[in-house]
Amino acid sequence: MKTKDFEPKIMTFLCNWCSYAGADLAGVSRLQYPTNTRVIRVPCSGRIDPLFILKCLQDGYDGVLISGCHPGDCHYISGNYVARRRFAILKTALEFMGIEPGRVQFSWVSAGEGEKFSQVISKVTEAVKVLGPMRKLVKAANSLVG
Amino acid sequence: MKVAKIKVKDNIEKTVLSFLRETIDKKLFDAILIPMMVPAGDSYAWVLAQDKSLLDGAYYLPPIMSVQGAKALSSVTKGGKVNKRVAAIMRPCEIRAAIELSKLNQIELENIFLISMDCPGALPLKDWLKDPKRGVDVFKKVIQHFVDEEPKPDKSVRPACAICHRFSDSDAVDLHIGILGTEGEDILFIPHSTQAEAIFAELGLSLNENLSRWQKGVDEVLKQRKKKRAQVQEELKSTVVGFDKLLDTFSNCINCHICQSVCPICYCRQCYFDSDKVKHPPDDYLMRAESKGNISLLPDKILFHLGRMSHMALSCVGCGACEDACPMSIKVAQIFSLIADRSQGLFNYIAGKSIEEPLPMRVYEDDEFHEVESP
Ligand code: SF4
Ligand code: SF4
Ligand code: SF4
Ligand code: FES
Repeated sequence: MKTKDFEPKIMTFLCNWCSYAGADLAGVSRLQYPTNTRVIRVPCSGRIDPLFILKCLQDGYDGVLISGCHPGDCHYISGNYVARRRFAILKTALEFMGIEPGRVQFSWVSAGEGEKFSQVISKVTEAVKVLGPMRKLVKAANSLVG
Repeated sequence: MKVAKIKVKDNIEKTVLSFLRETIDKKLFDAILIPMMVPAGDSYAWVLAQDKSLLDGAYYLPPIMSVQGAKALSSVTKGGKVNKRVAAIMRPCEIRAAIELSKLNQIELENIFLISMDCPGALPLKDWLKDPKRGVDVFKKVIQHFVDEEPKPDKSVRPACAICHRFSDSDAVDLHIGILGTEGEDILFIPHSTQAEAIFAELGLSLNENLSRWQKGVDEVLKQRKKKRAQVQEELKSTVVGFDKLLDTFSNCINCHICQSVCPICYCRQCYFDSDKVKHPPDDYLMRAESKGNISLLPDKILFHLGRMSHMALSCVGCGACEDACPMSIKVAQIFSLIADRSQGLFNYIAGKSIEEPLPMRVYEDDEFHEVESP
């Protein structure tokens, strides 16, 4: 499959207090961005267990984006800082597993940043497009893996 | 630093036990948590011994690790702190698991006096079970090689032990028992707390020895283990790193979850992977099979291992219990050692090394890990 034909599926976890509202703003502002994402709203980026991300990649998503409040703005004070630490570990684990770390992206988008939200989605979609489909997992699935 | 030296009478095991008996005799402790040989003679079980006569079948350093000691200790303090003085004598990796569990609020260490020892390793359960009597002799040799003036690595210990470089870590204990570099003639009692020093005074033990000979032994074994660790990890990298290789490695896993149930660090009352959350209606499986071509059953086998890695790599103490218990002889602990070294290294953290060092997930810096942020 050529890159230009490939439309990745990207799971997006958005913090309720910031990025989710940012997405909303992008919507009401009628900003254009790729439609490859599916959105799950979470109470805080700190709510995200690495397992959610692995599960998405296992179940056929080509990439995962997590977006939370800017540093210092988390409604639970430290949720996003801890999330950042968690993703630092996950990135090394992804390399270990042979999954391109670029499939999992982490950003800060506030409620007022509709413009930034649409840019992030475009960039992430483009990056995952370049990486191509999660072939390894699909291939692996065909050779007997759950 | 000065430590107390005791001459070995009969053998190391008996000499340590007589020291412990005396502490009970003098009412310095109310109970001792220690492994005891089971009546059939083919295993060791943790007991809380309150009576010194009960210490007769006890082993401060049994040939095998049946139950990881931290698990035994956490079962005692689940409901809160003990109100009596308990000494717990455990291998260094068991101590580190206990420290880690106390930081995770799963063990209450108040009133617990921790004793560790120089650990030569433990024999693989599978080898042991074939012939426990022979195992006892094999383990005697292991100890001999270990305490020799020129220590030699012994091939009979578990793979996790052969690469263990924290076999003598004692930062978090009250008392450490040193046997390295002694040729099996002496035992060094190394105090690490004022409480330990008080106990020495009660027992009339004088601090009469320095650590130079012992340190030489420790350094030599450390050198050997580090070399072996690097070598094993390098080989492992070429066989397990990467998705297809990882899948191959776990392809004969029977999904029994024993590695998780024996792991001291996997303390969740119910593992996500044993919960109803991973049970879906039949149509879901058919849908998954349709989108992927097929799915293997039992489902979520690989996800279980990846999930475990991502959940507890920061706290894995490298004790090898998982690998020892795996019925399919999968190198679980060795694989975990790779991922644990990497993740703990990100935070300069060593699981269970010190009680003061906070768990990396409980603290953060404003300015760090910007490389994981998308532009
Ligand atoms: S892993 Fe290390 S401390 Fe634990 S039993 Fe083996 S050698 Fe001893
Ligand atoms: S994963 Fe294995 S080596 Fe690590 S703490 Fe658990 S049982 Fe010990
Ligand atoms: S103990 Fe071994 S066979 Fe059982 S789940 Fe763990 S790795 Fe798989
Ligand atoms: S509340 Fe938005 S990241 Fe914590």
